Amino acid sequence: MNTSTIILWIITLTLFLFSWKKGADTVKRGTQLAWSTTKKNGLLIILAFIIAGFVNILSPEELVTAWIGPDTGWQGIITAEFLGTLLPGGPYVVFPIIAILVQAGAGLGPVVSLITSYSTQSLLTISFELPFMGWRFTAIRWTIGLLIPLLAGSIAMIIWG
Amino acid sequence: MRSFLKKNWISSLLLVVILILAYIAFSRGGWNLIYGGIKSGITILVREIPLLTAAFLTAGLIQALVKREFITRWLGKDSGLKGILLACIGGGLIPGGPYVYYPIAGALLSSGAGLGVLVAFVTAKNLWSVSRLPYEFALLGSSITMRRYLITFLIPPLLGLLVEWIFGGYIQKIRENVKE
Repeated sequence: MNTSTIILWIITLTLFLFSWKKGADTVKRGTQLAWSTTKKNGLLIILAFIIAGFVNILSPEELVTAWIGPDTGWQGIITAEFLGTLLPGGPYVVFPIIAILVQAGAGLGPVVSLITSYSTQSLLTISFELPFMGWRFTAIRWTIGLLIPLLAGSIAMIIWG
Repeated sequence: MRSFLKKNWISSLLLVVILILAYIAFSRGGWNLIYGGIKSGITILVREIPLLTAAFLTAGLIQALVKREFITRWLGKDSGLKGILLACIGGGLIPGGPYVYYPIAGALLSSGAGLGVLVAFVTAKNLWSVSRLPYEFALLGSSITMRRYLITFLIPPLLGLLVEWIFGGYIQKIRENVKE
């Protein structure tokens, strides 16, 4: 048991307590929602971890360090931003893969750029955005948004280099 | 086949990636390396199960605690700095994927919310997200997660203000864009 696990379980139990105070119904609905997310994404999660496993044993340290390593500077941040727009699926699919890239030697600036780009610039999300918001909104938000991963990655690189 | 691919296209995409990686593994070390890759993936997955369980429960409970109607009512028509800040908080709290928050953003758009408010809402949903935090924390560790949240903290309100300032006048056109 590491610290992350303990902290996360403390948060979970606190939320259980909160929900329980609001009524047994809320607890039931919360756990049901958790279970249905797990069920719906179970296959995706397994596939994502198998990808992580392959990346792990193929030990792409050289490749990762060359493209998004700590010494790649701007180039690494831009590469990571591009990579981030392509990552598909929810956080439980994407974060295991990013975690393996971190282990393989990705730098902090590129990693922050990667997470931010996946969060705000994901091309997959646009297919949900268009029907509800229209192309004008998407064009404005996405284009200006391209600056965010660059900015976030550079700040990380400058502060914690 | 076509409808299967449409429904499961993320799984299909991941499967293609796995096949490519398996091919690389095979060419480097034969079946042994393919077996090693799958085994390594399953081992990491099993190791993360206690964390993942807590992460899914946290996300589910937050979802049960924060009601969708509450967020929509709350964000109403306010634009300006106050509206943008409220939108950020609402976006950070609302759980669920794009099929949850874009319908809400669409409803806010048609009910009269400003462009800056909408951009702030969508951006905060993705950068401040309370329900994504447990996954990021569980899988990437506290050091990266904390730094990432710290760095991107000011981005949602700033982006909202910037977009409102430059493109705020286009909101009517954007609204018509969806109605068409």
